[in-house]
Amino acid sequence: MHTWVLNCANTMAFFSSGSQVLVEILTRIQSAERPMPVDHTFYEFGSIRYHVEASASDSENVYLSIATPSLSHEASPSSSSSRSRLPEPALQEMKKTYGKFAEMVEPPREGYVLTLKLNFSGLTRPKDRVKAINQVSLLQSVVLSSQLKHMLGSLGSSGTMKLVYSQREPFFVSKTADERIHAIFPMRFRDDTDLAIATCFFQELQELGNSLARAPKCSWSPIPPPELRGEYVHRLTTNGGFVSFGVLSRHVRGKRAAKTAWILLNFQSYVRYHIKCTRSHIQSRMRERLETLTEAIQNARLRGNHDDDRKPQAVKKSRPSKKRRLVSLAKAKSLRKGFRAVLDTMKRLRLRIRVRGLDRLRRQCQCFAVPRLPAPPRSSSSSRYHRLVQ
Amino acid sequence: MGPTCQAVLSPSPRRPAPLQPPESRPPLPSPRRPPPLPPINRAPSASTCSFDLRRTTDPEVLAAMANTLRLYLTCIRNTLEAAMCLQNFPCQEVERHNKPEVELKTSPELLLNPVLICRNEAEKCLIETSINSIRISMKVKQADELENILAKKFLRFLSMRAEAFQVLRRKPVQGYDISFLITNYHCEDMHKHKLIDFIVQFMEDIDKEISELKLSVNTRGRLVATEFLKQFI
Repeated sequence: MHTWVLNCANTMAFFSSGSQVLVEILTRIQSAERPMPVDHTFYEFGSIRYHVEASASDSENVYLSIATPSLSHEASPSSSSSRSRLPEPALQEMKKTYGKFAEMVEPPREGYVLTLKLNFSGLTRPKDRVKAINQVSLLQSVVLSSQLKHMLGSLGSSGTMKLVYSQREPFFVSKTADERIHAIFPMRFRDDTDLAIATCFFQELQELGNSLARAPKCSWSPIPPPELRGEYVHRLTTNGGFVSFGVLSRHVRGKRAAKTAWILLNFQSYVRYHIKCTRSHIQSRMRERLETLTEAIQNARLRGNHDDDRKPQAVKKSRPSKKRRLVSLAKAKSLRKGFRAVLDTMKRLRLRIRVRGLDRLRRQCQCFAVPRLPAPPRSSSSSRYHRLVQ
Repeated sequence: MGPTCQAVLSPSPRRPAPLQPPESRPPLPSPRRPPPLPPINRAPSASTCSFDLRRTTDPEVLAAMANTLRLYLTCIRNTLEAAMCLQNFPCQEVERHNKPEVELKTSPELLLNPVLICRNEAEKCLIETSINSIRISMKVKQADELENILAKKFLRFLSMRAEAFQVLRRKPVQGYDISFLITNYHCEDMHKHKLIDFIVQFMEDIDKEISELKLSVNTRGRLVATEFLKQFI
């Protein structure tokens, strides 16, 4: 059990911000012997859209476009990807991060918030190229964190705002006067099983968040925290309570900001993934237990595979003809119950079933004899049956 | 089926009053509960030795076990041994029909007093016996919300696959979590002592499985929470 749990926990830890698909595509383009045309569009995390384009004639330049959901709740989902552009500080940050091997294409491709023209020819060493590709794969987290930073900056010294990373599950970010940021997640679950599993997780999270010194303080409560006063009731209606993280300044300092933003943006997905894995674990355990119990009931059968516990091998090797012989012996044994048992059976049959015309047939055709049995007295209504075996 | 079994459970005019609903009955076994039967018609086998050791009623051995669950299960085992002496008996209402009387309850003289064995308020086992069938209903311990969910999920999972067990009822009796229906045909097809072993093992396994599932869900939650918070450090 522990091995499985550890494996799963490690898998959960790889809920990484880098796009593996992007790394694979870019590596393939770079390692190709002949230039090849590439045109890929794919989604990650349900809402992040990538477009990778390279032509055979211009093999050194690869155009990478990305569309991320607008975190602002004012933007409608249809217009979010087409109209919204990255804010100027975010673009500056992009230039700073990817300036060595990428240029920004203005305006970006239709339907995307950012288009980069990647050119790795300046990087001579393969090690540098690999590093650059890995850096490009983190583009989604850089874009989202820069958006988040910009929105928090526009919030002022204190206040609360609603962020929509996933349309179904918005969350809130509040900033207090002492520069502390609280990320508050209203948790909603579809059924009781999910809720029970998530409750265990939240309890552990709360306990660990208070015990680990450098981790953000975590709290879970069924009622909305005071930062959400004044919000609409339908936004605060949950069945799983509210999880809030008290993010400290050291968590958003420098390069850590992108990582922290990415972790918080994907917290709800992380919880859902944990629930899914746990449900699958429960299901597999139940299947295993079902097999054990089914085996137990199969062993109880008289003609089962494990009929004779002392010689299981012999039973396995026995041929079908031997089985048939055993069955026939059993039948013969049942026939040797004696005439009295047969009479009793016929008596019972005669008592329960009336075949019309049987007497006449017996009289007409003397080829078989049906024993005439005394009819039971029907007048006594007190006893509805009689004892067959004394 | 030996003659002693028939003498104990065959219908007789001295049968007790018609079956009342189990709610109105006292929780303890009735004084007319049949006495434990001597081991008859049981072919010796390898599993019989361990089985006999487990079903011992020696107080010293039981005290050594020091386990309330063991006592509870032993009580159920002994009651099942006494009650599980079934015979073929056609329906008295419909010709050429053979139905489990414990389900129909059309003839009170064919029913025995039900036996309710309680470990505590949350864990109990109801054994209803008739001339040709026996119904065993169980209520499984559910200490908290998670155990309640897990027990419900697991027992539903098993009930959906009732055909694999043959003796499992698809719908439990009201007030219980899972029910078994054993007829005389099952007793003819299976070893009686192994059938009882299965029921007892089933009860043990259910408890064990729910406890282990709860433990694994908690352990997993803790590990995943640790991994999540480690990302910030």
